Amino acid sequence: MSDRIIFEDVSKFYGEILGVNRVNLSIPPGITSLVGPNGSGKTTLMNLMTGLVKRSRGKIQVLGIATDDPENLFKVVGYSTQFDAFPKGLTGFQFIYSYLCLSGMEEREAERAAWQAIERVNLIEAATRKVAAYSKGMRQRIRLAQALAHNPKVLVLDEPLNGLDPLARAEMIALFRASAAEGCYVIISSHILHEVDVISDQVILLSNGYVVAEGQIQSVRNEIQEHPTQILIRCDRPRDLAARLFQSEYMIEASIHKDGRGLLLKTRDADRFYLAMNELALDGIQIESIAPADDDVLSVYEYLIGNEEVVR
Amino acid sequence: MSTTIQLGAPSGSSETTADGASSVPVIELNRLQVRFGNREILRGLTAALRGRAIGLLGPNGAGKSTLINTLLGFYKPVSGSAKVFGRDIHSDLRTIRSLVGYMPENDAFISKMSAVSFVQMMGELSGLPSEVALERAHESLFYVGLAEARYRQLGTYSLGMKQLAKLAQAIVHGPKLLILDEPTNGLDPSARQRMIRMIREIRDGKEMRIVLCSHLLRDVEDTCDEVMILKQGQIAHYSNLEEERRANKRFLELETYNANGDFAAAIEKLGCECAVAANRMKMVLADGVDTRDIFRIAAEQQVRIRRMNFRRDTLEDIFLKAMES
Amino acid sequence: MAVYRRSYRSYSGALTAPWSRFLVLFRYSRRDLFRSKLQTGFFVACFFYPVVCVIMIYLAHSVGFLAKFGIPPSILSIDNMFFFRFMSVQGVLAFLMTAFTGPGLISPDLANGALPLYFCRSFSRAEYVLGKSSVLAILLSQITWIPGIILFVIQASFAGAGWAWSNLWIAGSLLLGALIWIAILSMLAMALSAWVKWRVVAGALLLALMFFGTGFAQAINVVLRTDVGHFFDVGYLMLAVWMDLFKVEADHAISGGQAWIAILVYCSICLWLLMRKVRAYEVIR
Repeated sequence: MSDRIIFEDVSKFYGEILGVNRVNLSIPPGITSLVGPNGSGKTTLMNLMTGLVKRSRGKIQVLGIATDDPENLFKVVGYSTQFDAFPKGLTGFQFIYSYLCLSGMEEREAERAAWQAIERVNLIEAATRKVAAYSKGMRQRIRLAQALAHNPKVLVLDEPLNGLDPLARAEMIALFRASAAEGCYVIISSHILHEVDVISDQVILLSNGYVVAEGQIQSVRNEIQEHPTQILIRCDRPRDLAARLFQSEYMIEASIHKDGRGLLLKTRDADRFYLAMNELALDGIQIESIAPADDDVLSVYEYLIGNEEVVR
Repeated sequence: MSTTIQLGAPSGSSETTADGASSVPVIELNRLQVRFGNREILRGLTAALRGRAIGLLGPNGAGKSTLINTLLGFYKPVSGSAKVFGRDIHSDLRTIRSLVGYMPENDAFISKMSAVSFVQMMGELSGLPSEVALERAHESLFYVGLAEARYRQLGTYSLGMKQLAKLAQAIVHGPKLLILDEPTNGLDPSARQRMIRMIREIRDGKEMRIVLCSHLLRDVEDTCDEVMILKQGQIAHYSNLEEERRANKRFLELETYNANGDFAAAIEKLGCECAVAANRMKMVLADGVDTRDIFRIAAEQQVRIRRMNFRRDTLEDIFLKAMES
Repeated sequence: MAVYRRSYRSYSGALTAPWSRFLVLFRYSRRDLFRSKLQTGFFVACFFYPVVCVIMIYLAHSVGFLAKFGIPPSILSIDNMFFFRFMSVQGVLAFLMTAFTGPGLISPDLANGALPLYFCRSFSRAEYVLGKSSVLAILLSQITWIPGIILFVIQASFAGAGWAWSNLWIAGSLLLGALIWIAILSMLAMALSAWVKWRVVAGALLLALMFFGTGFAQAINVVLRTDVGHFFDVGYLMLAVWMDLFKVEADHAISGGQAWIAILVYCSICLWLLMRKVRAYEVIR
């Protein structure tokens, strides 16, 4: 299919070290997030997608273009790496302009495109200063500008929000959303799971070089059947609530919070549970708050990938 | 050009500080002005911060790092004063530095040293006797979770481990104030959770106060009880999150699975103001209306309420509002 | 049964004296210094010439032994010239020793941004420089004036109090000459180490400075037909100072006084360069 990014049985080994193993993906347009611990293969996957690294096995196609065809590939792909390195002595504008010229754009066209990209990331005042004098957030933004300058259809961004302050984050997220709305494929890797939750259309979880889960987060969650939904309820009489809920057949586990005003429960049937909550709330129990304890990327992440020790 | 914010101590936190006096502010600024050449970076800051964990926020270039560097004595202010635990930075800088532990944002390590010798050396430079420094180096490394790797050279460490090593050297000498600059930078989700948990533990332990400087508002929200937002060298906003959390029983946030316009309409009929965005709603409960009424409407319409809590503005809303003003 | 929970506890015990903190740097550097076999070997080799000198002193006082070989005692006279030669040889060795160990002093701290961690403690830049230079100072002292003074004492024990009193100034010159050489070497090494992030390159630069300095000096002298070029040759300047200190007559283009001043200027320049780099933060415009 030439409207997706396709990985067919792709493996990449660096000598005997595993990069990724037997990856099968079909990425539609929209914002796709790559999530996983450090060393799980996110950067390898991105390098494979952009053809910077040659696969050991399998087939990769980006919108119908094979990745060993860089001439054509990079017309539709823009890549922003996680590494904070720049050619010495260039200003922000020169950085983008020179790369555009290198990729074959005619001078005036390149200048226009460069300024347009700089405007999109809000760096117009700083564009004529040397990149070495930029703050971390500004360098991140100029890298993003470089990736989008030629209006690619596929944007591969490795930790694009690293070092950006909250305002800049919100602006960049709006930028990604706008691109996705135009039909672009925006592939982002991130460690900030609550952001991933909010902005992504689909998620790919990686661990140790394997794709552990992929798809929309709700449907991923639903597929993990064996793992019941956890919900945290804060109320004034958690024991009464627990007793009532145990009388139904869909609550299977409950524990009272340390401070005596909260109930963490597990249920196999979240939908029926929520409807039952409405009834129970009217029965005299004051409910302070309800919060799903695992219906988001963080919980799926913790369940599937787990809290591995930092020391490896 | 100075902004003065009247800040009160969070009620119920008149803990005694290092010298036994009650409620000496952790950080006290008085018309603090700092310049680089002819660029004014901090324009007359005045504040008194007393929280257990103080969040320092602001866009890039607002002056957060400059403020921290000034408190540590790396920059000299042009005018005004700053005090840490009542000690003035002009006269008592060495005392302040001995009371403070600093975890910088950038890489800070010596690659050929093992974690233990590195932290031990830092402890000795802070004045600990040699054997005590060694003991405490091991303790700190155990505490931050580097127990297995502590004999390896720092150059072999992963990014997360380097961050933890920076934290270990900041706490080895038992400071009274811990300054953390972007502590979760580059950490993967598990390591971030661990770091946040550790910061919360340190905050709750009451031995150390914390100043946390971060761009991730969620981190600050999860750990801090006081927040100061800087913008262009001035204080754009101050929030006492602890007090706000206690005070807001009228603002409700809801997330539903299957609510449609009828749900919001029914709520508004009760007299509550309601704002809807996708499946999220924020409302102000009118007098006489409480959550039972909301549940009643939900039961009638078979709406499944996924999330509900009392909250005014998230830190994100507060921050964005502060930036606009 | 008692269960002990391991948690963080603060420290309220005694602290070490503030003035002694710079020695911490010395102790930690010392661990690294003799890790390399090559360095240790070279260090030991630096004592070879002093041992030869001891033998010469002994021989100089064993007239009978010498007479057996028909060697007149005047060849082995232990005088200011003897000590001057000693100083020169050990001076060269001290220079090579610095090229080995100097660069590793500050480069590792700079390479990964560890400097803010030093200065966020009650530890000043002056203490840092003092601590780092004490490493070199103590090491180089062990191969320059300490063996020198020992030789002097040995000679004095053979030659008697009279000789010692009239030649006491030589001991002073040994000390002073060595200290100045140590100072300029330390400053150069530390300044290079602070500006160049890789130790190997810093070491190579130090060697280059000396050798090219000589070549450059010669070139200027020949081309411009002057003696000013010698001011670029630190080795030459030091020799001039030593000649002055040991009252050795020789045909030298630069007077002792001029050499002194030049060396002081070099020290100051290095110190200034050093202090520019040794700080807790770096500002790039």
